[in-house]
Amino acid sequence: MGRKLDVAGRRLPASLIAIGVLLLAACQSGGQQPAASAGARITIALGSEPTTLDPLARDDGNERAVTDNIYETLIKRTADGKLEPGLAAAMPTQVNPTTWQFKLRRGIKFTDGEPLNADAVVATVQRVLDPSFKSEQLSFLGSIVGAKKVDDTTVDIISKDPNPLVPASMYWLRIVPPRAAHDPGFASKPVGTGPYVLEQWVKGDHITLKANPNYWGPKPPIQEVTYRFVEEPGTRLSGLLNGEFDLIENLSPDDASKAPKVATVDGGQNSLVILNTMSGITADPRVRAALNYAVDKQALASKLFDGYATVENCQFMSPDWFGYNPSLQPIPYDPTKAKQLLQEANAIGASIDLTSTSGRWLKDREETEAVADYWRAVGLKVNVSILEFNDYLNRLFDQKNRPQAIFLDHDNALFDASRTMDAYFARGGTGTSNNDPQLTQLVNAGDKELNQQARLQDYQQAAKLACDGSYFTFLVRLKDVYGLSKRLVWQPRTDGKIFVSEMKLAS
Amino acid sequence: MLRFVLQRVGYGAVVIVLVGVVVFVVTHLVTNPVQAMLPLEASVAQRRALTHQLGLDRPLPAQFVDYVTHVGRLDFGTSLWQRRPALEIIGERLPYTLELVMVAMAVASALGLLLGVLAALRPGSPVDRLLVTLSVAGLSVPQFWLGLLLIVLFAVNLHWLPTSGTGDLRYLVLPVVTLAMPSIANLAMMVRSSMIDELNQQYVRFAVAKGLSRARVVGVHALRNASIPALTLAGWELIRALAGYTVVVEVVFGWPGLGHLAMDAIERQDITLLQAIVLVVAVMVVVINVAVDVLYKAIDPRVNLG
Repeated sequence: MGRKLDVAGRRLPASLIAIGVLLLAACQSGGQQPAASAGARITIALGSEPTTLDPLARDDGNERAVTDNIYETLIKRTADGKLEPGLAAAMPTQVNPTTWQFKLRRGIKFTDGEPLNADAVVATVQRVLDPSFKSEQLSFLGSIVGAKKVDDTTVDIISKDPNPLVPASMYWLRIVPPRAAHDPGFASKPVGTGPYVLEQWVKGDHITLKANPNYWGPKPPIQEVTYRFVEEPGTRLSGLLNGEFDLIENLSPDDASKAPKVATVDGGQNSLVILNTMSGITADPRVRAALNYAVDKQALASKLFDGYATVENCQFMSPDWFGYNPSLQPIPYDPTKAKQLLQEANAIGASIDLTSTSGRWLKDREETEAVADYWRAVGLKVNVSILEFNDYLNRLFDQKNRPQAIFLDHDNALFDASRTMDAYFARGGTGTSNNDPQLTQLVNAGDKELNQQARLQDYQQAAKLACDGSYFTFLVRLKDVYGLSKRLVWQPRTDGKIFVSEMKLAS
Repeated sequence: MLRFVLQRVGYGAVVIVLVGVVVFVVTHLVTNPVQAMLPLEASVAQRRALTHQLGLDRPLPAQFVDYVTHVGRLDFGTSLWQRRPALEIIGERLPYTLELVMVAMAVASALGLLLGVLAALRPGSPVDRLLVTLSVAGLSVPQFWLGLLLIVLFAVNLHWLPTSGTGDLRYLVLPVVTLAMPSIANLAMMVRSSMIDELNQQYVRFAVAKGLSRARVVGVHALRNASIPALTLAGWELIRALAGYTVVVEVVFGWPGLGHLAMDAIERQDITLLQAIVLVVAVMVVVINVAVDVLYKAIDPRVNLG
């Protein structure tokens, strides 16, 4: 995900960054702004360079940040997360349990002249599913097995099992032109239907997009956008202060007060600790409840994240995801109750292993250490192990020997509980640490349920079970924080997408 | 001389092969590219399928044989992330690194020599003590900190220079200074001490007594001898800049060179690209070493080339 904290942050000891930041504050003067909006050009600094501009190949937030402006999808989301038609003329209809039918808008062309029609959609689906293409996006497509042309502007998307997720999946499938996509150089010569076209890509240095003069939709205010790749957060912030950049992503809450302008949105990054309910002291529900009562979530949000976070409502999902349960409330901070529960469980003084990683997500290590301290304060011995990310993943995915407690920052690009719950609730999930048959049954039922209301109930019921049984320690949901130049006007989106067409310059 | 060069090249080839083997084994043992490539929530089956398609589920010896035969044909494989030949990607990035390193080393050699000689002329003088202090400081400052400091001072505060990226000469200034700093300090200290030694030699006094100008004695006779150890050190500094310092400097300044690319490859566990980068850098290191040895001989005929 684009929200993933980039690596560079982890290499610089915090104290040295602090010195740099102090210096910044000390010698801050009025930043020079680029010349006023002749043709409205902006510069965006990304954490790293897209590895390709082929929109079907990789799972890479930096690639998406660029290609989302060149390519379009059948279905899109409003800024607050609701699905709406994109290249499709209307929301799809389900013609049978495994088939969703999409009507396309007429008259849209790719920038090389190929028409956007049923053939293009079929070719796109075939391309992404082809095993030899090795797409890393298959986890966004669920059980989709193919597409069939009905007529020139009607296409069926077919899945193996009943698949209620197809409309949401279509927000992730960028439609490519069949002929141009065969070109071996397609990955660096993108051809889309979107509001921008590639102007120049100097590998390693920058990418420039220009407004597509023949765009079918409303003309965007920004005429030209240059993407620069700056891994080091201190340099990114300096570039923003120096007027070289108009937008930087992943601004640390500690630096937010220094940016000329800050834009935030309730993000989709949810932190939690997965507890092993099958063995050790965490097999006792009283201990798991105590681990939740012990942590002051409000303090994490306001102190550790400077207010750029909110306390989770006993589920690590965002309110705009399908399956979110609005009736759940946060487990309150109550150390006395935590101690009492531990006493009842005869677990005072017992030790617990907490696994985590460092530098992957914003303040992951600090948050883990804070949780460990809260647990210690109620009478547990906590052994924290901070692992290098690959070792951490080996622990997280270890199916034979589940970690006792493992910290995680979860986000869900599909905005649908199935992705969260398949991975962390249900049997066989890559990060599942419980053996509750009821939970698995609810999730599996929801994954196949075509009645939206029944499906919603399955997931909400599963969320309630996980909350009641304290299968996880629920922590905080982070906000996405962007640094903006004074002149840029933009409201970030909950889905983390950076659509340049939604930006403009202050007059 | 030719025998010497061939011998050196032979040693170098052995080193490159060893480096290649070690990098292959280490990257395959400690990384899991598929875990890094797929989202956390990808299913076990999806992960297994991609591992198979990338051929990473084959036994390690089979993968190694495959790797060696390809490298033997100068095919360094396809980057897992960029899906392009690794060598093509390196070819795009190497010129940036070479530009940065060459300019930085030229600056470092010139300044190191100048400051070293300046300090050696009057050991213990205020100038000498100032230069020694500055050298110690230059060696002790961590480069990423120095880089950020320079950015804050000269870009954010004074608006003289850009913070990052490439373009005209202004973009080169801060990364060059940052990269050259430890080398300037190291070279200045080395030139200073060997120059002091040389200036105390009999032949210097004799030359002065013979009536040669002080400038000629210092600038030609003493400097030539004093620069021999400095040359070895300069070779070392060049290697260290190329194979190490550039990683930090390029990341801090968003410079699109090989060091930055290596950092990305490690982060993404792009093992084919990483192996190719390491091999290319190893070849450059060997070439520099041979070149330094040959130059050494050219400057100082006493050197026994055995």
